[in-house]
Amino acid sequence: MDQRNGARSGHQPQLRINVPSTARERVPSVDPYGFEHAVDFDYESYEELMSEYLAVLTRRSIKWSKLLQGKPRVDRNLKVKRYVRKGVPNEHRALVWMMASGALERMERNSGYYHSLLDLQHDPKLTETISTDLHRTFPDNIHFRLSSDPCLQRALYRVLLAYGHHNPAVGYCQGMNFIAGYLLIITKDEERSFWLMDVLLDRILPDYYTLAMLGLKTDQEVLGELVKMKIPAVWKLLQDHGVMWTLLVSRWFICLYIDVLPVETVLRIWDCLFYEGSKILFRVALTLIRPHQVDILPAQNLPDICERFKHITKGPDVHDCHTFMQKIFQEPGSLSMATVSKLRGSCRARIIAEES
Amino acid sequence: MSRKKAGKGKGTSNTPNSSPSSDKDKAKKVLTQSNGVVYPSRPSLSNSGEFYDIAFKVMLVGDSGVGKTCLLVRFKDGAFLAGSFISTVGIDFRDVREQANEHSFKLRSKKVARSEEKTAEIVVEAAEERVSVEDESVEETVEDTIEETVENPLETNKVLNIDGVRVKLQIWDTAGQERFRSVTHAYYRDAHALLLLYDVTNKSSFDNIQAWLTEIHEFAHQNVVIMILGNKADVSHERVVKREEGEKLAKEFGVPFMETSARSGLNVELPFTAVAKELKHREIKEPNEPKFQLQEYVNKEMKGSGCCRS
Repeated sequence: MDQRNGARSGHQPQLRINVPSTARERVPSVDPYGFEHAVDFDYESYEELMSEYLAVLTRRSIKWSKLLQGKPRVDRNLKVKRYVRKGVPNEHRALVWMMASGALERMERNSGYYHSLLDLQHDPKLTETISTDLHRTFPDNIHFRLSSDPCLQRALYRVLLAYGHHNPAVGYCQGMNFIAGYLLIITKDEERSFWLMDVLLDRILPDYYTLAMLGLKTDQEVLGELVKMKIPAVWKLLQDHGVMWTLLVSRWFICLYIDVLPVETVLRIWDCLFYEGSKILFRVALTLIRPHQVDILPAQNLPDICERFKHITKGPDVHDCHTFMQKIFQEPGSLSMATVSKLRGSCRARIIAEES
Repeated sequence: MSRKKAGKGKGTSNTPNSSPSSDKDKAKKVLTQSNGVVYPSRPSLSNSGEFYDIAFKVMLVGDSGVGKTCLLVRFKDGAFLAGSFISTVGIDFRDVREQANEHSFKLRSKKVARSEEKTAEIVVEAAEERVSVEDESVEETVEDTIEETVENPLETNKVLNIDGVRVKLQIWDTAGQERFRSVTHAYYRDAHALLLLYDVTNKSSFDNIQAWLTEIHEFAHQNVVIMILGNKADVSHERVVKREEGEKLAKEFGVPFMETSARSGLNVELPFTAVAKELKHREIKEPNEPKFQLQEYVNKEMKGSGCCRS
């Protein structure tokens, strides 16, 4: 569509004579990442929120520029951690993710590796599985249209293919397409997306996407345990109705909140994910559940519970990403890595015992 | 947070096996119970599925990309396209889109659809799932908003009127990729019916039917109603699985079979209506009523994939 307009050379874009008077006219219909707003997008609320958030972004942007000035690396220290929690400006995001997660180091150590993977003979089963999902990845994002240039759908194919060859134990698992898609949107670079993917799947989220998906199942149960400790009434409700956690939260973990929460909020979560690790996923989950106990508890049956769990991921609370990110470090209370590790150990053992 | 404050189900929703006493009376009772709102002339009006007599859980299974979600969406919204519904706030494509697109603000309103008459459906409750459509062969507009189903089953409610009894189908859509099965088969246990799909343009999805059946028999309830559906039947030039092959396989396993097309609408309603009928007859049987014959019913109602269908 864009092309068509471009091709009509000689045609000047129509000049606006009137000053746009409504938010609908002022706010572009596509967000900064290429996602089209839904038909019923609430432009007024968005504009209101953005007018405040823009001030935050500007402030953060100045601070980050100072921090990064003349430095080839981001150090890991309390100041940087605090900065990350307050949000990485989009212009620095790719670099900060690369540095904080160790992906940059991996990339530099393995120069040329990504492209060598693409030169390999491709596993036909792998290419077929990936291809099935290409047109089902962000059809609402203009950069993923076949007509767009560069076309992220093609880049997505190559990143997933390379990753599948790089890590045959994982190959391709649905959900990875969304993750790689976001990485491409942010880094605008296949090789960087590949290495961020590698560090995510290999180090940050071990064993989420392998055949047995044991890491994923474990973390779902770990969340269950955390809810049992911190939000016992909700835990009891689920227990009473025999609801498995996987039914409610698997997408939260598999897609790392993509398509569960708004784009901007997801990116803010990922800032912390790349810097602090997978613990952050639990903080987000608990922050979604705990303040909304009162909305969840009246549920009377399984479909009702499912619906209420979907409902808590929507609304103004999650769109106000800055406040939401402040809340994730307060609302759930203390959550040490030691606790998470211990729970992971016991849950994992329980799952293995149940499955054998 | 105002949605769904009223409890629904009145205890029947999650325990569909508890036998309702007498169908018609029960129906009235349920009706008057619900929030005190009664619409005698329009007993079907409901926007949260309160009014039904029995509920069953149906799961859509089959390989990735065979069109499970698309069939479900067509079933849910297809009646709208066929003109049998007047949707007040719109169960239509835009809803599908807004479900698919979580990248934005949504002030979602409740959606109500009313059946004009004629068709089996009384109430369609707006699906709350993130709609994703798996059928590649769907209309362009649909295709634009398709995303795959990742892992967790997505739920849709639909209430059908089966011989005066309101049957609610809780339809669960699942991801097809093999590694997710270890997660999804945990739900088979509670399913009353399983619709097993393959894609007539994809040989391996057909070859995998047997493996699916093996898994179903291992994990599902013994009396689960199974139906095999060969989807994408409208795509004639790319077809690699003949209708006869599907029939033969289904016969071998003693499972009802039909070809469907989420695009053309071919047999989209039938599988759901048929399982609803079968399940209803199992649950509520009049004293001198003959046993419901699912296979016969399907054969009688089924449309061929040839010509004469829009």
